[in-house]
Amino acid sequence: MNSKEEILKKLAADGMPEYPCPEFGFTPQHFDRPAEIFAQRLEAAGGRMTMLQPGETLDEAVRRCYPEARTIASNLPGLACATVDPDRVEDPRRLVDIDLGVVAGSFGVAENGAVWIPQTIRHKALYFGATALLIVIPHDAIVDTMHQAVARPEVDDFGFGCFMSGPSKTADIEQALVFGAHGPMSVTVLLR
Amino acid sequence: MSTHSAAAKKFVADAGRMAWHDQALYAVREKRDRMMESVPEWEELRNLSSEIKRHTLSHLADYLQEFERNATANGMVVHWARDAAEMNETVWQLIREHGGRRLIKSKSMLSEECGLTPYLHERGVNAVESDLGERIMQLLHLPPSHIVLPAIGVRREEVGELFHREMGTEAGNSDPTYLTHAARKNLREKFLNADVSMTGVNFAIASTGALAVCTNEGNADMGTSFADLHIAIMGIEKVIPDMRALGVFTRLLARSGTGQPVTTYTSLYRKPVPGKRIHVIMVDNGRSEWLANARHRNMLKCLRCGACMNTCPVYRRSGGYSYSYFIPGPLGINLSMLRSPKLHHGNVSACSLCYSCSGVCPAKIDLGEQIYLWRQQLDALHLADPVKKAAVKGMDFVMAGPGRFYGAIACARTAEKLPRGMVENRLNPWSAPGRAMPRFARETFNAQWKRGTFKKDEKDEQ
Amino acid sequence: MKVGLFIPCYINALYPEVGRASCELLRRVGCEVDYPLDQTCCGQPMANAGFERDARELAERMNALFDRYDYVVGPSASCVVFVREGYPHLLKDYREHACVDARIWEICEFLHDVVKPARLDARFPHRVSLHNSCHGVRRMGLSSPSELHVPYHSKLRDLLAMVEGIEVAEPERRDECCGFGGMFSAEEGAVSVAMGRAKVARHMATGAEYITGADSSCLMHMQGVIDREKLPIKTIHIVEILNSTL
Repeated sequence: MNSKEEILKKLAADGMPEYPCPEFGFTPQHFDRPAEIFAQRLEAAGGRMTMLQPGETLDEAVRRCYPEARTIASNLPGLACATVDPDRVEDPRRLVDIDLGVVAGSFGVAENGAVWIPQTIRHKALYFGATALLIVIPHDAIVDTMHQAVARPEVDDFGFGCFMSGPSKTADIEQALVFGAHGPMSVTVLLR
Repeated sequence: MSTHSAAAKKFVADAGRMAWHDQALYAVREKRDRMMESVPEWEELRNLSSEIKRHTLSHLADYLQEFERNATANGMVVHWARDAAEMNETVWQLIREHGGRRLIKSKSMLSEECGLTPYLHERGVNAVESDLGERIMQLLHLPPSHIVLPAIGVRREEVGELFHREMGTEAGNSDPTYLTHAARKNLREKFLNADVSMTGVNFAIASTGALAVCTNEGNADMGTSFADLHIAIMGIEKVIPDMRALGVFTRLLARSGTGQPVTTYTSLYRKPVPGKRIHVIMVDNGRSEWLANARHRNMLKCLRCGACMNTCPVYRRSGGYSYSYFIPGPLGINLSMLRSPKLHHGNVSACSLCYSCSGVCPAKIDLGEQIYLWRQQLDALHLADPVKKAAVKGMDFVMAGPGRFYGAIACARTAEKLPRGMVENRLNPWSAPGRAMPRFARETFNAQWKRGTFKKDEKDEQ
Repeated sequence: MKVGLFIPCYINALYPEVGRASCELLRRVGCEVDYPLDQTCCGQPMANAGFERDARELAERMNALFDRYDYVVGPSASCVVFVREGYPHLLKDYREHACVDARIWEICEFLHDVVKPARLDARFPHRVSLHNSCHGVRRMGLSSPSELHVPYHSKLRDLLAMVEGIEVAEPERRDECCGFGGMFSAEEGAVSVAMGRAKVARHMATGAEYITGADSSCLMHMQGVIDREKLPIKTIHIVEILNSTL
């Protein structure tokens, strides 16, 4: 008997009665102005939200948010300030410690400031290795809670994806919060 | 004296460290409370979470096979391991086949459980922990003392000294930001040059064959971004039915554990990108037997959030190393008893039965109630503390009849008149440094009543 | 209302004044109080230590002693909880709704939920810090546990609100364990005392003159710490406050 068969046999003999899958017996919290809550919770997680200003181009917004960035990797169409096209990079290591990644997200989650990022670039290394990350999402794409988030079509069709809430952080040294443990030091979500 | 009690005494003796440890962890509990208050449906969520886990455990074989089917269809390779040895061998074989000696790993309690890192070390594989807390513990050659906050027992000055020695940071600099960024720089090279990456699994979603991995540092995702082989290890209880369940658990996990609305990264690995491979090892290692234990199978609902440790007044004041198991606190007491009562019964004294753990658990595991049940089983397992047993037998003898009880009180009054040193000593279980004995009353309530003190008096009108 | 007064063993031996106050208080609110003689112990200490079987005989004894009362009332939340939760599986011929576990009340919840007196005519012109004992809070619902997302309530506070002149405070970490825990206090003496010290310090930080609560066992443990360190605070069972007339 192989291990799988052995484990399954043990589980079949566990004597546990069957319990049906429970139904949701409640209505999850709802926010009248989800973008406001999203901005607050993202800020509490160390990130920030900003809106594309009327008449502002994506390039201008990138410059406004990260004026110091010199190396910028992005595959977003029409972003002139990008210095690297991550899809043309062979070795993902080249994307590490790049000043800024400008990437597409699908939607935000108000209750926790997270953005769903399905991998749309060749190497996911950019999401985690860039020093700063600017995530662009549609301005009306903010859901209330994770309940709605996991039911979105974008979370049904992906290879790798990540709910990302603010910059990388740790409190492993005496519970002191420090941003930039391994991933981005700074995260901005741009609503356009 | 139980093994926990003896070890705890040493922890308590360093009053400053104990106070810091207690306060640091209680602060996390308070953050958790604030998160709870921000979710009106919190108690409904806990109910739902507990019921989803119960349902899943009652169909575990089905869900594991569903996960295997879907994950395989997604291009992952799924392995089954009956125990720690088989998991370790499978990992070793995968690494050998793949080639390379450098493994970068993110936090996994399962790897601690199975002794994976020392196993690989013996075979020449250098498994580098990438979670900052785990890395600190690895460099200190110590096990984690908390499942979510592995280095909670280490003070910043100790980290400063360690990093000075290991990474060449400035001597005497123990600023957490400085040290964290030094580790970031130091580990960059390990991430980029790793041959194999390893992660744990927070949730394996049966309906989609995806793995959810939650971290705050992004270390798991950095690890899997470069090496071509990603090995994910999971206990069989980590499977959940579907995305709807994931929505429920991700709302509870970080709020309960660290007091954040969600972990910074909740990454879903579904299909390996071309040229990369994901191998998942599903490990039993006793779990199927625990599931057959009707009184204690609830333990398999655990999300490994750590909330029960943060709230436990005993854990906070005795530290992770006072427990004999690699997982401490209320969770560890219970899991260690499932693992081996013989080896770990010395932990069950570490509970004042305050039941706070049961109240914070996001899966509504009856942790405190189960500790009570374990205590009841010790005698039958011949593991009861003989001194305690004698004390209980004595108590029982005294209480069994009023003559003995009230007679014993009379004796005790006499004993009280003895010099303090004769009463407050090791043989008196109540005697502990820092706590004075209560005094017996001149006359028991029973005697007063018998004497007629409480005959209906004027106060009884109305 | 005929009440059988349950006086736990250690209250009988160490704190008869708590028994006296319970008796007087119940009479003042109109109950007919009887005390079945020769009570010993409900069995909780043995059970919490892991020897439930040794509590069986005591449970039988207790059940028989209180057989004839509609209400059994005692001034100790944790003993009452033990009778309620433990007796169903300890009693030999257990019958639901017919044994003592179905008729037993902790005195504060009895006053609050059953007697519901309009006034107590009590006066206690002192600042007190409320001790929310674990079993009272988490097993009995005397107040809302801080772990749960439920509206705040406290039956003890509600009762104390009827006392003239009193100021009621609650310590930081309002329902953290004081470290008594029965046999725990002996077996894990170092941690138990550390917990007791911390708890007393938080009670003192409220500026209270007294620590009060519904469990003499917690109060006994904290009084031990207070006595040893000669701290400027006292413990007093809540029934003594509710019964304190001029």
